[in-house]
Amino acid sequence: MQSAVELRSWPTARSVPSARVFVAIVVLCLIASAAFASLLPLQLSIVTVFLFAGPHNWFELRYFLMRLPVRFGRSRNFFLTAFVGLGVLTLVYVLLPLVYNTTTLSEEAWSTVIATWNTALIVWLGALIWLRSKQKPRANWRWLIPLGLALCSLNWLGPNFFSLAIVYVHPLIALWFLDRHLRRTRPAWSRAYRRSLCLLPLILVGMIWQLSQTSMLADNNGLFWRITQHSGAEVLPQVSSHLLVSVHLFLEMLHYAVWIVALPLIGSRARFWDVKTVPVARHPKGFPRLVGGVLVTALIAVAALWFGFSIDYATTRDVYFTVAIAHVLAEAPFLLRMI
Amino acid sequence: MKALLFACCVVFLSAVLANADLRPPIKPANQNAAQPTPEPKYILHTGLEISTDPKAYEARLQISQSQLQSFRAALEGAPGNPPVVGGIAVSAPRTIIAGLLMFLAISIGGILLARSVSFGRTRKATAAIIIVAVVLGAAAIITRGNAGPPGSYRWRNLPQALAKGEPTTGGVDIEVVPDDQLQGRMRLIIPLKKQNAPGEE
Repeated sequence: MQSAVELRSWPTARSVPSARVFVAIVVLCLIASAAFASLLPLQLSIVTVFLFAGPHNWFELRYFLMRLPVRFGRSRNFFLTAFVGLGVLTLVYVLLPLVYNTTTLSEEAWSTVIATWNTALIVWLGALIWLRSKQKPRANWRWLIPLGLALCSLNWLGPNFFSLAIVYVHPLIALWFLDRHLRRTRPAWSRAYRRSLCLLPLILVGMIWQLSQTSMLADNNGLFWRITQHSGAEVLPQVSSHLLVSVHLFLEMLHYAVWIVALPLIGSRARFWDVKTVPVARHPKGFPRLVGGVLVTALIAVAALWFGFSIDYATTRDVYFTVAIAHVLAEAPFLLRMI
Repeated sequence: MKALLFACCVVFLSAVLANADLRPPIKPANQNAAQPTPEPKYILHTGLEISTDPKAYEARLQISQSQLQSFRAALEGAPGNPPVVGGIAVSAPRTIIAGLLMFLAISIGGILLARSVSFGRTRKATAAIIIVAVVLGAAAIITRGNAGPPGSYRWRNLPQALAKGEPTTGGVDIEVVPDDQLQGRMRLIIPLKKQNAPGEE
């Protein structure tokens, strides 16, 4: 019933090109992103993050506001758990670099700290899944318990690898969001979209095949070093950093394309700058001022991010990717609400 | 009883497979000597390309800057770039926690599987045994073995490639040995087995 209410509150689709055109665009994006990411990994990484990191967060925030119900109702516990977990996990994550710089923890102790945070993340996700499963009695999600425990176990075996996995898996979540969105708003496109996604693993295999033997990227300055480290060059020293940066950049480009281009354009006739198109602001018992204030503040943050990138790109990049964990975490509850 | 014996066989066989590619223990070169020869100090595993250059007058060894930094860090005892396998399960408490969680995962997963799947008891037992064997084998490979073909596989065509002037790429372990073993030279040991000529025994 609640899903039906959500569906009605979503703006109706307008007439747009056929599924074939959509698939052609998806395939073109996949191939072009892979080609550019393979050819100019470092340069494109700098440009892509500079241009799209902030705006994609703004669009993501707006999308989440669109999905937020006016009254939580029987989802109160779910949203309470989501927001408390989101706040606590983000705060701890942001504090980790400060702890690292102010204390003299051994490498082993630091690995334990990271493993503990990762475990807290899995436990939080498990709690959200459990709460969501109570609203979907027909769904059998019990198999996620052993899966979660196995993930926890692997995390304790190699916390750094688990953290790196989050870096690579997170961009793919956007493709899942798009899939769920298409299923609701354009079922005819959904099947074609899923078929076109079969190209993704093939492209990844092709990139790995082509770039695995390439020489390491020159990380002789602070910025290039940060980019290669973020892609896992230190955790996977045997793997060419060219391959790591290219694959990560490829996935990031898809992530940005989904949030900035695909989701705002597909299935919504609403102008994205109009606050009244957000259900929680449009509703008589809604919060138009709060929503407007949040969106304007986020817009200022995007401008501040661009300004920061212009002044000191490397430091701003560090700060951004630390704070950006909030949007990584926020995707979980809203994706669960769409399943 | 039969199922138990079968389970034991599967687990032992998987352990053999997992350990098949393990490096044999390094024996001292001269066991009769009063002073045993110090073992080489392992620094890191990386890639090596052997190529020919007809225009070159001298053999050259090219090392990237990041690798040089890794050598330096390893020699100074600083945490350099650890190998992938070395980064996993080096801590006893972490291994214990991981083991307990994996135990719970397999146990609960097995119970859920047994309750949900509607096939016979024998098939259930077989499936459970295979799952346990696969998990144990995978864990053994991750923690003890080096998955994939042995390193010598990539070097098997080196002589032919050198004859044709083509490059060959493979993995290489960097080791530091005492000065008296190399007398000021560097040594590159390629894991190449002697190939008999046709008709040669």
